[in-house]
Amino acid sequence: MVHNVSYLGFIPLLPLAGALILGLMYLATCQGKQISERLYGILGCIGPVLSFFMALRVFFSLRGLPEQERFLSHVAYTWFSTGELDIPMGFLADPLSAIMLLFVTFVGSLIHIYSIGYMKGDARYGKFFAYLNLFLGSMLILVLGDGPVVMFVGWEGVGLCSYLLIGFWSDDRSNVMAGNKAFIVNRIGDLGFVLGMGFLFWGIGADGFDYLSLKANAQNLTAPVGLVVCLLLFVGATGKSAQIPLYVWLPDAMAGPTPVSALIHAATMVTAGVYMVARFSFLYAHVPAAGEIVAWIGMLTALLAAIFGMYQDDIKKILAYSTVSQLGYMFAGVGVAAYSAGIFHVFTHAFFKALLFLAAGSVIIALHHEQNIWKMGGLRSKLPTTYKTMLIGGLALAGCPPFAGFFSKDEILYSALASGHVLIWMIGVVVAGMTAYYTFRMIFVVFHGTPRDQEAFDHAHESPKVMTVPLVILAIGSVFAGFYNLPAIFGGHQKFSHWLAPSLVEHHPHGGVGLEILAVAASVVAFVIGVSIAYRKFSVPVAEPVYKGFNKFGYHKFYVDELYHTVIVRPYQFIGKAISRAIEPFVIDAPVQASGWLYRMFGLAFKVFQAGYVKVYAIYMVIGLSVLSLLVSQSLN
Amino acid sequence: MINNYLALSIVLFCLGILGVVSRRNVFVVFMAIELMLNAANLGFVAVSRLHVNMDGHVLALMVMAVAAAEAALALAVIILLHKHKGNLDTNIFSLLKG
Amino acid sequence: MLATYLFFGLALLAVLGALGLILFKHPMNGAMSFVVTLISLAGLYALLSAKLIFAIQLIVYAGAIMSLILFIIMFLNIQERDLPIDSNRWFYLAGGIIVVAPIAGLMIKIAKSLPEEHPELIDGFGDVKTVGHLLFTEWLLPFEIVSILLLVALVGAVVLAGKRGVN
Repeated sequence: MVHNVSYLGFIPLLPLAGALILGLMYLATCQGKQISERLYGILGCIGPVLSFFMALRVFFSLRGLPEQERFLSHVAYTWFSTGELDIPMGFLADPLSAIMLLFVTFVGSLIHIYSIGYMKGDARYGKFFAYLNLFLGSMLILVLGDGPVVMFVGWEGVGLCSYLLIGFWSDDRSNVMAGNKAFIVNRIGDLGFVLGMGFLFWGIGADGFDYLSLKANAQNLTAPVGLVVCLLLFVGATGKSAQIPLYVWLPDAMAGPTPVSALIHAATMVTAGVYMVARFSFLYAHVPAAGEIVAWIGMLTALLAAIFGMYQDDIKKILAYSTVSQLGYMFAGVGVAAYSAGIFHVFTHAFFKALLFLAAGSVIIALHHEQNIWKMGGLRSKLPTTYKTMLIGGLALAGCPPFAGFFSKDEILYSALASGHVLIWMIGVVVAGMTAYYTFRMIFVVFHGTPRDQEAFDHAHESPKVMTVPLVILAIGSVFAGFYNLPAIFGGHQKFSHWLAPSLVEHHPHGGVGLEILAVAASVVAFVIGVSIAYRKFSVPVAEPVYKGFNKFGYHKFYVDELYHTVIVRPYQFIGKAISRAIEPFVIDAPVQASGWLYRMFGLAFKVFQAGYVKVYAIYMVIGLSVLSLLVSQSLN
Repeated sequence: MINNYLALSIVLFCLGILGVVSRRNVFVVFMAIELMLNAANLGFVAVSRLHVNMDGHVLALMVMAVAAAEAALALAVIILLHKHKGNLDTNIFSLLKG
Repeated sequence: MLATYLFFGLALLAVLGALGLILFKHPMNGAMSFVVTLISLAGLYALLSAKLIFAIQLIVYAGAIMSLILFIIMFLNIQERDLPIDSNRWFYLAGGIIVVAPIAGLMIKIAKSLPEEHPELIDGFGDVKTVGHLLFTEWLLPFEIVSILLLVALVGAVVLAGKRGVN
């Protein structure tokens, strides 16, 4: 039973319209007198905030429906129709997309508001908000699309916007390179998505290519095709959600302004991959092998990123690797068929990661765009609000009970354990300890101890209200979001999982109370060990360490970037150069040049006849007449 | 009989063509064109006589009117030409040269 | 018989005048010889019983247009040294005759195919009254258009020749 509501289309439309208006305003005024930043800021925030309220409306109207009828849809128009493929521009709100909608618009709106303060004084203020709105609009299309094709529109849209925003400060070449990297790496993933979509259509697309029809026909998909589809879609997810082997773009994406990082990492973009796997849970449920691969890749990514995170000295890069690591958890969750646990982690992660990024942005602004944690220290007294909120975010990230991250992470680990993936669970626990370690390494180095750069310390000041208020709101969310899915062991009812049940195809494993207690205890122990190591090493004033041996290997991120550069980028460049030197001038340029040359020669040849004298033209005319007469008189005979 | 008139008309017309082609003096070229118009007029009137139909006369009248208009404009152009270049040579205008 | 002699005489004069037009060096001489052609053509019209055309040929062509041309030639006061040098005149003439020959051949062939008969004249053929009647009934619209054309030519000539401030 699907209910048709027309306001669904407005949710993505509002930010998109905002993007259009802001973009046109910026274009119209970027040469001359600038419009005031306040106007841009207000206009930029209207779309996301209104979308949030509409998302609330969607959520509550879904709640008002009986459980199996919680589907709202709206078909705006037929996008295209060829042969048996009929693609409407349709939107679907079910419990899964409603949850995504809620936190995407909520966190997105807060980030917009925060940006008003963060981007103050930037020459391209209007452009920034236009891109930000476009980003959010694309993400909403992705979430709300009623089929893979509409999802792909948003999928590409967020890819484009990430490129635009990561390279936003395009004066610096390295920023542009980072944007390019994000875009190109995402392209590889997108290719997987497109191929997966093609196979899916080939398999079961004939009877409608939207989620509900696909879900109904999923059992008709043969096992090999299903595996291929699932793996190709997962390739798309690794690109967008930064999993092995395509995670390399996300740490570089830190080149963008901090609100962009927050938006990419918390609300939009990277969660798309997890959402997509959960959305196609009806496929993955049929192909356990694909889920196995997803889970392993996710957990390995989590481990690798956690190792990298322990050695970073850029505050945003630490957070970036923590995002990669947490995304690994989410994939591990959806991989072991605990889709609701994965989505729940997406949900809580949105709050505390946005909080951490925005707090880090606050620190960065306070220190005038200093990002190296070894130049900070003792900022606790100077930035009290930032410190408190960041501490809450850190606790949530590290998985300290009862903060949000604890419940969601524990849910994933418990699901892994209960479904029999003991090795994945063990790695997960280790990663949880490492997460606690690097999170508190960052917090201790930045906020505790003594200032390392006295001058910067003296000039540091707390950020304005427009920035700290979103921090506080997110901090509240980071504390309480976890209670939404309180498991039975803590006296809850797993409301979140039940809410998502109509959208997902999953069966909750029942491992018993013993396993549950084991999982919780292991997580808590890992957290305690991680924090105490960090406390021992970094709560006292320490200088920037020099890394040796394995540590150096980790500091350089296992040289993965260099490896990619040597194995993929260099040969590519070589081939490109070879083609441009050997083939292009002869195969492509030569005929083009030759055709131009030919016409010029024709022109030169006929130029002779254009003497310019009237008499000469008269003579031509008479000659033509004469020839015609000759021909006619011959035919008369 | 009419054939002779038509033959004369053709000869005059061809002489007009020769004038246009061989001379460079603007006046002569202009009058050669007038000659061609007159040759055509003669053809009209002759055929009109052949068919005992006066439409040819009317057409000849029209041609004369056009010739008069043409003369007025062409002479004005010649005056301008002479003012600008101080010359009557058609070959000094070669702006269309490729 | 007289008509035949008259025709050949007038035809000879017309051709000679035309030849003079294209051969005389000075445009003044060419114009005078062209007047001979025009007047002989007027005679030929009379032979063809085209009385109105005969009169108009004399008045408008030989009279008005030619006197206008002569006036302009004299107005510009063309000297012998102002004349363009027709260096390749004979070459052009010879080439022109070769080129024009097929045209003349075709047209003469067509003229020859016309009937030889000489039909009787009707009453008032070529009179002012009959031609005028025709002009104002069947040819009214072309007549009006020609009047507009003349007006335009008039204005155009004034605008072109009367331009001030040039050079």
